[in-house]
Amino acid sequence: MNIAIIGCGTMGMTYAYNLGKMPGVNVSGTADLLKERAQDAASASGGKAYTDWEQMLDAESPETVAVCVPTYLHKEFVIKLARRGIHIICEKPAALTLEDAREMKQICEEQGVRLFIGHVVRFFPSYADAIHKVRSGKIGTAQMAHFKRHGSYPQGSELWYHDPAKSGGVIMDLMIHDIDYACWLFGDVESVYASVTDPSISGIEYAQITLKFQSGAIANLTGFWGYPGPFTTQFEITGDQGLIRYDSNQVQSLDLKTLAGLSKSQDAVQVPSSPALHDPYYGEVKHFIECIQSGEEPIVSISDACRAVEVALACKQSAQTGQPVPMGGTAS
Amino acid sequence: MKTLKIGFISFAHMHAVSYLNAMLERADVEVVGIADENQERVAPFTEKHGIPYFENASKLLSQEINAVVICSENARHAELTREAAAAGKHILCEKPLGLSEKEMLDMIQVCKDNHVQLMTAFPCRYLASVREAKEAIDAGKIGQIIAMKGTNRGTMPGGWFLEKEHSGGGAVLDHTVHVMDLMHWFTGSVAEQVYAHAGTLFHDTAIDDAGMVHVKFQNGVFGVLDPSWSRPKNFPTWGDVTLEVIGTEGTLYIDAFAQKNDVYSDAGGKTAAWSFWGDNMDKGLVDSFVDSLLNGSEVAISGEDGYYSARVGLAAYESAETGKPVALNKPF
Repeated sequence: MNIAIIGCGTMGMTYAYNLGKMPGVNVSGTADLLKERAQDAASASGGKAYTDWEQMLDAESPETVAVCVPTYLHKEFVIKLARRGIHIICEKPAALTLEDAREMKQICEEQGVRLFIGHVVRFFPSYADAIHKVRSGKIGTAQMAHFKRHGSYPQGSELWYHDPAKSGGVIMDLMIHDIDYACWLFGDVESVYASVTDPSISGIEYAQITLKFQSGAIANLTGFWGYPGPFTTQFEITGDQGLIRYDSNQVQSLDLKTLAGLSKSQDAVQVPSSPALHDPYYGEVKHFIECIQSGEEPIVSISDACRAVEVALACKQSAQTGQPVPMGGTAS
Repeated sequence: MKTLKIGFISFAHMHAVSYLNAMLERADVEVVGIADENQERVAPFTEKHGIPYFENASKLLSQEINAVVICSENARHAELTREAAAAGKHILCEKPLGLSEKEMLDMIQVCKDNHVQLMTAFPCRYLASVREAKEAIDAGKIGQIIAMKGTNRGTMPGGWFLEKEHSGGGAVLDHTVHVMDLMHWFTGSVAEQVYAHAGTLFHDTAIDDAGMVHVKFQNGVFGVLDPSWSRPKNFPTWGDVTLEVIGTEGTLYIDAFAQKNDVYSDAGGKTAAWSFWGDNMDKGLVDSFVDSLLNGSEVAISGEDGYYSARVGLAAYESAETGKPVALNKPF
């Protein structure tokens, strides 16, 4: 499989590391407007660095491209790639509006190319284990859940995360991980209610969301950009015969302390890591590549990704109006 | 040394036992009697400690006592408070204070009219973690509070708690008030809007055992809390009290019962259990009540405090019924 990467920021580098060591995968090119970043990704993956992505496609003819550009550019890149007949693995969220996400889906279908959206949380071993336990009936019928995702404010190129018109803000960019997972767990959402901090409070974006599902289940999610502690994710899924919970701060299977102390440098965008043979992104991308090769449906479909965008938009609307929003209420 | 003479009215709520033990520890308190229509329920305590038994409240209230502790079913708080106040006794009343706005305002007024003090039993204010958190917040260590998320999830209590005519409501009323009081105490503000879900998700019972309660405070802070009876029978303890407070300059997280040993036993009872070794919050509450009366100072947690929190639980049912946010006005 000949793959190229467009956008070599934090996520592009993550793809580069993982694709670079994947058997049967050849990273032919890595493109970024910033030459240094393109080169970093190239050396991590074994590809060739480009600052012009179209030149890269012409020269390398990849079968599949990983799109790791800022969210507001997803649609433009996805559509151009689809029209060239290239399969696409695109970072989440799919797009900033439901219309854009659906258009991406439609054009990829028309062009006969596969489109995958990187909702990687479904591939985290702890989250995957939990859904298997729920599906096997270990906690009876799952009825409630809590999800927490707290981290530092991501420092993307030219601070694009800070501009809600580019990133969609903490609900669309960060909490969409747990929105998608909650929908995977509980199905379709009936209504949403959300509160988010005032944008005038600099350096912090914190939100609370309650999703009420058609099944009657309830999930509460918090998301936080600007959390002063370590990147933290937690969940609790409660059923009528038990509960399952996870705290990323309670699973350190290795604790290494050195006299030299901790490094002062902090990742620009925090990506959780833990000692494992492969990180969850490896499993995710491998799964998508296998789906391209076999033609099978992925664990997370483009329809799932559209639903996550739709729910996230409803949450943003609720936070803005202070009123619950019934699902379907965001369709314009 | 001055001695405070105390009577207990009803042991319907199991917290009475813990309050009694705290009273008995004090040399400056004399427990004059326990009144309960159900003699069998209180016999272990009257007999063990040689405390006189009274078959109803009015017989106890005719004794020479300074104050009473009311731990009846929720539905009787109002009538017993009125009766005790009319007899000139100070009152420590179990939460929730009452079952309607009118009833609670009436309880507060009747105590004022009779020049007796009314304290609402919110022992969580006497958790050491909570007290340190309050000091940190007041010292400005996390800046201005922006948002809060709390849980007071428990095991289903059974008995009269499931009978609406005695309890007034299920989990949402029972477990909203404690953390709600902490939110009021920490912010120094009052909830002005409630949006909530309430339902029966975990047990085969007619009353609500699950909910999610969103609040907005007069000072712009927002919060959410989970009051569900959602702990499975095999959970290692009865439940939890947690509260995360997000400020402009930092965050704090209270996990009140984290002070525990993990116990794994083949000798009977729960095979895995948490043994709590932190300070006894009920003793802190009782000591505060007794000290205030002996010093002639105002009780630390007023009837108004009890009212502000209980009406959030009541409004939560209204919101869950209508599907809309419910506005609360400031009556004082």
